[in-house]
Amino acid sequence: MHPGSRSHTGALLLAVAAALIFSGCGTEREPSRGTRRSAAEPPRIALIMKSLANEFFVTMAEGAKAHQAANSGTYTLLVNGIRNESDLAQQVALVEQMMAQGVDAIVIAPADSRALVPVLGKALRRKIVVVNIDNKLDESTLQQVGIDIPFVGPDNRAGARTVGATLAKRLQRTDKVAILEGIPTAFNAHQRRLGFEDSMRGAGIDVVAVQSAHWEQDEANTVAAAILREHPDLKAILASNDNMALGAATAVRQADKTGQVYVVGFDNIPAVHQLLQDGRVLATADQHADRLAVYGIEYALKILRGETQPHDTQTPVDLITTAPH
Amino acid sequence: MLKPPTAADRGDSPAVRSLPRIAEYLGLMAVLVLLVALFSALSAHFFSRITFTTLANQIPSLTVIAVGMTLVLIAAGIDLSVGSVMALGSAVLALARVEWQLPLSVAVALCLAVGLLAGLANGFITVRWAVPSFIVTLGMLEVARGGAYLVSESRSVFVGAAMGRVGMPLPVIGLSPAFILAVLVVFAGEVLLSKTILGRYIVAIGTNREAVRLSGIDPRPVVVSVFALSGLLAGLGGVFHVAYLESADPNSGIGLELSAIAAVVIGGTSLMGGRGSVVSSFLGVLIIAVLQTGLAQIGATEPAKRIVTGAVIVAAVILDAYRHTLGNRREHD
Repeated sequence: MHPGSRSHTGALLLAVAAALIFSGCGTEREPSRGTRRSAAEPPRIALIMKSLANEFFVTMAEGAKAHQAANSGTYTLLVNGIRNESDLAQQVALVEQMMAQGVDAIVIAPADSRALVPVLGKALRRKIVVVNIDNKLDESTLQQVGIDIPFVGPDNRAGARTVGATLAKRLQRTDKVAILEGIPTAFNAHQRRLGFEDSMRGAGIDVVAVQSAHWEQDEANTVAAAILREHPDLKAILASNDNMALGAATAVRQADKTGQVYVVGFDNIPAVHQLLQDGRVLATADQHADRLAVYGIEYALKILRGETQPHDTQTPVDLITTAPH
Repeated sequence: MLKPPTAADRGDSPAVRSLPRIAEYLGLMAVLVLLVALFSALSAHFFSRITFTTLANQIPSLTVIAVGMTLVLIAAGIDLSVGSVMALGSAVLALARVEWQLPLSVAVALCLAVGLLAGLANGFITVRWAVPSFIVTLGMLEVARGGAYLVSESRSVFVGAAMGRVGMPLPVIGLSPAFILAVLVVFAGEVLLSKTILGRYIVAIGTNREAVRLSGIDPRPVVVSVFALSGLLAGLGGVFHVAYLESADPNSGIGLELSAIAAVVIGGTSLMGGRGSVVSSFLGVLIIAVLQTGLAQIGATEPAKRIVTGAVIVAAVILDAYRHTLGNRREHD
């Protein structure tokens, strides 16, 4: 980002210098370009993501870039991600860098629902529009800091509930199931777990184990294999993302229980499509990763244009039970 | 062929040499038995054939990587890049199989070649510019991880049946071909270390590199081959990983280097170099695997898992230290 901004400033200085040299006294237009920017130049929006090593956020970022390319006259976009999902300090630093760059809006998927609130408060005081996507900021922390940031994103709990309800139709009361949770401190992980639990409780199904596999395939495989041994009559594994569903499906196959133990996931990543087709994964949820950042950007653009907006906006989560063709 | 030096070269009789080795295995075996007994008491379903075959089929990657790590540590180096190199190899393997539709043997060869090249680069840079291997392999950890993201476009790739049955349990015995291969690698590693000239050089370099150099032996080719071997084995770990999980995840193997180092250190290999055993590292892998599986099976909470794992690693090393002082005293008596 830094080199980019430097060359931008450099180009500006060159233009100013050229204007001064070639027109002698210089016209009013060129030197005043810097101050004119906010009025006539398209607004600059910073998209701050979690880890860009994560498939989900890569899809989000690509969706945003495609949207910007199609609307290049409307706004310019800076996309940044952090090294890994737990690196809060780096994300706080990114917000500060974007503030220093003087962007008009920040659209952020916070790595933590509390730790990012203070620095976003600073951005708001600088009259930067802030829109929260993906991971919802904590209400009480927002109140404590005395700020209000709109959330544009899917309801993970409702999505997980829909996936769970699809599974429940295949099960009977008192059947035993297990839940594989994401990183326990992540808001999404918590919401999906709650959604799964809601649907299972509603159908009278017995959740005999809840363990974290940190969103990871390998760990999900180890944990699922252990749960399958501990509960030989287990009927289903609810994985909070598709990577863990892949690991669980492999554990089911290795335990020779294909067809006896259902697996469901969340996210609808391409790697899971073959398993959906084979029936080794029963259902997953698609929260349209490619559109998630775009929803936030469009929301920010409307605020910048002075349009009033509903406070929080829910984006769709669709149930997926068959592989797309 | 390399001619193995006789035990007399080291100034001790075969009997004396083999005694502490057996004691070493016994100590680690005791820890292992203790853990198995503990989990069997805590869970009604732990002590079963299926638990042990599943566990065995989960560890081939960590096992072969720990073999490489053992040799690197004995040579007084360290290889932090193994997890990333494994992920890069896996990604290339999945791409070769799914996207380019290459035959399995070619795809596997590519994966191994990626590991070997990364290892050669580690070794070459370490000796050419005399940079500590900690720094070189830390760099490789980043480079290979970036490479894995690049070739996979940061996406998990489903490979499915395209890997054949390498990672799947064989009928009747319930063990996978990958596990059997991994055990063979362990024995090959042990033979390399204790019965070949190269093995002796590795130990000697780890003990006193300067003395090796002064005695007219160039330590550099040995160091390069140790890192190359570690890279190659990380590539092999990648093959096993993809075969077992039926897919390649560019985020796989994050922190694997620490698991491998923990297993090797539990096995009594010195972080300072010059001392260690490949078979003991394998026992270290088993201890870590039993711990991981057992804790998951009894449904331990996340904090409990972390705390217990950390405590067992340290306790095993303390136990090892005690065994060594006892062993040394016996030798001096």
